[in-house]
Amino acid sequence: MTFLVEPHPIDPTPLRAELESRDCGGFVFFEGRVRDHHEGRTVTGLHYEAYRELAGKEGRRLVTEIAAKHGARAAAIHAIGDLVPGDLAVWVGAAAPHREQAFAACRELIDAIKAQVPIWKRETYANGKSEWVEGCSCGAAPSHGPLAKS
Amino acid sequence: MNVPLHGLFLAGGKSSRMGREKASLVVGNVGLTQAARGIGLLRKLCDHTYLSLREGQAAPEGAGQTPVIRDSEEAQGPLAGILGAFRETPAAAWLVMACDLPFVSEILVANLVASFRATPNAPFAAYASSRDGLPEPLCAIYGPASRSILQRHAARGHFCPRHIMREENVPLLSLPVEDTRALENLNTPEDLAEAVAAREIHLAWFGSLAERRGLRQETVLVKAGTAEDLLREIEGRHRLGLDPKAVRVAINDEFVPRDCRVQAGDKVAFLLPSAGG
Repeated sequence: MTFLVEPHPIDPTPLRAELESRDCGGFVFFEGRVRDHHEGRTVTGLHYEAYRELAGKEGRRLVTEIAAKHGARAAAIHAIGDLVPGDLAVWVGAAAPHREQAFAACRELIDAIKAQVPIWKRETYANGKSEWVEGCSCGAAPSHGPLAKS
Repeated sequence: MNVPLHGLFLAGGKSSRMGREKASLVVGNVGLTQAARGIGLLRKLCDHTYLSLREGQAAPEGAGQTPVIRDSEEAQGPLAGILGAFRETPAAAWLVMACDLPFVSEILVANLVASFRATPNAPFAAYASSRDGLPEPLCAIYGPASRSILQRHAARGHFCPRHIMREENVPLLSLPVEDTRALENLNTPEDLAEAVAAREIHLAWFGSLAERRGLRQETVLVKAGTAEDLLREIEGRHRLGLDPKAVRVAINDEFVPRDCRVQAGDKVAFLLPSAGG
């Protein structure tokens, strides 16, 4: 049950290997990638910053709790540093005996990571300006609608 | 035209109860002496800043090349320093700060300056002590109009600026509720030990807050009891827009509730809502 915050570029291969198991018939992973637009503006780059000590602890707690809740195995890695559209920002994987648990664990974990792990991002736009993206203080990502944007 | 505002760092006291020169003390591990910290603060707000010393006294550590003004013969104690400053530049308003106020913040002094600028003909601008409501004369502004008042009192042997301000019915500013101990001074080694040990914490800043604050970590002397008290105190100093309802608090790399008590030596971080993914 690994959770990592690492400088870009991140490599999820070891996490994927960690989750592979013959008793798991379902393996779902989610890749959050940098999008080239945000609220109508063209995004040319993203800077991710983390409170690494706390992000590591909080992420490990979420991975462990959510995996246990769904009877799944789970792991995740989040990038920090300077990324451009198309780059991998976050990878979440969940493996379980059946696909329902794997889907549910993966979905809940990415939502929880986004809402609770202390990571922030600063977007740079085509006009050269950049802004910190405001998070939502409600801490309840799943209520943010189906398939919350990554 | 604006009256020029000059700064006067009062370091001419004998520090007899402390047993060593207060202006050379380093309070907290930020590494600055009281002189370096106080003079730095005055320089940010004043056109010119001077160091007030008794006759023959050497400059305290950290005062650098700050020009020195010697005490006036007209009075004793801090009043001698203030009248010495008026002897130097009678047309200036003097922002006076004693060397034993380790908790005074830039915003507190800036508010004093703003209050003086709003009534530039007033002889004095000063805070009321949160302890007894009396004037705090050693973090105060003495306008050009105050010189003749001070001289009149000095001629009668009244050298206590607090009594003078009181007799003159100087209107006083209130200290902000989150910073009522801002003007507490240090007189004894026990005061100093308490100030250093009990109130030093490490703040870590992240994301847009680090940008607004202009740094990522700092060690500060604080008075706060709970994390929320601390948040208000820091917000009072720096106006970062910290909203206690939106900000999460971490102490020593763990999320904590806002009523968690802050201990000396803690690493404290105020965190805006996350925006990862």
